[in-house]
Amino acid sequence: MSTPDSELDKHLAALFGGLDTRADFDVRLVARLRAESQTEATERGKRARQQELTRHRRAVLELQSRRRLTLRLLALDALGMSLPLMVAVIAAWSRFGGDVMDISRQYGPYIAMSLAALVAAVPLLGMWREQTRSPIRLF
Amino acid sequence: MLTNASLMELVRAGRRDEAIVQLLPAYRRKVFGLAYSLLRDREAAEDVTQEVFIKVWRALPAFDGRASMSTWIYTIARNASLSALRARRPQSSLSDAEVMDAVESSNPLPSADVLVERAAILRLVDQLPTKQRQVIMLFYMQEQSHEEVAAMLAMPVGTVKTLLHRARARLSACAGKMSATA
Repeated sequence: MSTPDSELDKHLAALFGGLDTRADFDVRLVARLRAESQTEATERGKRARQQELTRHRRAVLELQSRRRLTLRLLALDALGMSLPLMVAVIAAWSRFGGDVMDISRQYGPYIAMSLAALVAAVPLLGMWREQTRSPIRLF
Repeated sequence: MLTNASLMELVRAGRRDEAIVQLLPAYRRKVFGLAYSLLRDREAAEDVTQEVFIKVWRALPAFDGRASMSTWIYTIARNASLSALRARRPQSSLSDAEVMDAVESSNPLPSADVLVERAAILRLVDQLPTKQRQVIMLFYMQEQSHEEVAAMLAMPVGTVKTLLHRARARLSACAGKMSATA
């Protein structure tokens, strides 16, 4: 076998010059790209739905937490209000007539305490309702 | 020829498939050559070529056009080929029937002596060190352009010329020895 450089060139060009992919390469690639495209779209949809669910869940939790906070503040407020109210009722009692004074001496503290308990109970009931409420359904 | 700007326009318009179809004629053979020169297996090289174009398709929205399209694609192709090489069995060889089938199907059909000679050269190319083999294969695949081979392999043109010279010298010497013993 005699292979001078020009001959070697010729052989190498013949061996590698025509190398190419198979004829159906482009068709196969386009088909794969279409499949990839569909998968990607489905994945994108799933991701978007997941993100939306997370966002919604976070918003619901935030809303619940705000509600609880408001009710807690209301409860404290009511308790705080009931105490001066009770003092005011007891102080005002002395201005009424003898019968009323007698009754007040007998029942005044109970009436005042019941009134205070009533004022305090309203927000507490609200809080209890909030705690026992069924979770908010997303769908 | 698809420019970076027109390609980015297609991507922005959500027409990535169209962008790939336009890239294919310019880069398919080059990417295939790059993969084949490293993997020495036609089937595996085609698979890698497909993977490369799918990776390009996926990454197109992130392509900012700062690097040239060819540099970007060749980098993806080199990395994909190296990954495939690491993952596959090591015993493949260039002297497979497919290359010779391609040679034999050329027109006009070479004589039996020429076919034997080419098969012998193919075996010699197969035994070259990786870089020399890659340079030889890509040089003769890419219409003998040093610059193109340098861009594909991310090497200076001078290195490509040196590797090519060494590879050809080695092939000539081996071919000479073979003819002397024949």
